[in-house]
Amino acid sequence: MKNSMESEPNLCESEEDYCQKFIDRIIKANREVFILSSLLERQMCGYDLIKEIFSKCDVFLSQGTVYPILYTLEEEGLLHAEYNKGDMRSKKYSLTTRGREIAEKDVEFFSKALEQISLLIKR
Amino acid sequence: MSHMQKAVINGLDKIMFMEIPKSSVILVSGAEGTLKSGLVFNMMANHVKASKEHALYITLEQSAASHLANMKSLGINKENNLHIFDYRDMRLEWIDSELDLVKLTEEVLDSYVDKYDDLTLFALDSLNALYIISGQETMRNRIYNFFTHIREEIVTSFIIMESAQSRMNGQLIHFPQTENFLADGIIELGMIEGNAGVKRYIQIQKMRAAKHAMEKHQISVEENGINILGPIY
Repeated sequence: MKNSMESEPNLCESEEDYCQKFIDRIIKANREVFILSSLLERQMCGYDLIKEIFSKCDVFLSQGTVYPILYTLEEEGLLHAEYNKGDMRSKKYSLTTRGREIAEKDVEFFSKALEQISLLIKR
Repeated sequence: MSHMQKAVINGLDKIMFMEIPKSSVILVSGAEGTLKSGLVFNMMANHVKASKEHALYITLEQSAASHLANMKSLGINKENNLHIFDYRDMRLEWIDSELDLVKLTEEVLDSYVDKYDDLTLFALDSLNALYIISGQETMRNRIYNFFTHIREEIVTSFIIMESAQSRMNGQLIHFPQTENFLADGIIELGMIEGNAGVKRYIQIQKMRAAKHAMEKHQISVEENGINILGPIY
């Protein structure tokens, strides 16, 4: 899995790359929302989450930024963690009832915020 | 951010005459069984209980559950604002070559600092484990940057180290103590055998910008955790 993209300004880069750079920054700065959003779909371990976000968004979230979020969300009672039967290698996380409520609200307001920002900066 | 009080554990004021300066990087070194983890965890637990601030304890040698069980046996309870991070899940889900543990440790600290504005204490248990897992040669070249990074986070850090010569996984390993020059403080823990049996001691060998005693003081484990008693001689 590749690491994060370099963010040095490059006037020759393609539109796609230019756009990806902003996506990369937005996702990294709001990784908790993306983790919660991914967990709305199914239970996952840290590895699954990193792989899922990478395959969907082409953004690599480092392990050192994902696992602390999982641990603190679990401490706050938003996530429930359990080992799969017969497989102690991966701890799967799922949203608790309160976690699901917060995840849905976060995803909704994050999307609204992005729409508003988009309107604000459009000429 | 509040200072770590010199009486954060019973009797610490016998050897520390001023508060521990903020953003210090303090090495806590000693052989196995000298209560390094217990001392640091006890200081952190008492500090966050009194200050309501947050603290992060990273354990590389044990799982968080095993560390907590050990602490409980010493009479030290975990507070909700004292967070423990271990690499167990990460190391089970990823292959070691995909994990740069030095970089990851910096990122983990950054993540907790992002999450908790009032995170003021950090501990790494232990630097030796980090060296062994990361490969000692590579790590030594990066230790200066690592210490700089944790200082920049404006947290007071405790870095636990086995003594210069120590056994890990049954092998005798020599650790050159180059970190001593980079650290702001050095607390040594040890054991002395005398007529009255084996006694554990604590000695502050160095603490920049803070007055402290140089004598070795006895330490003991009581119901309320670790206590520092009088000079050992």
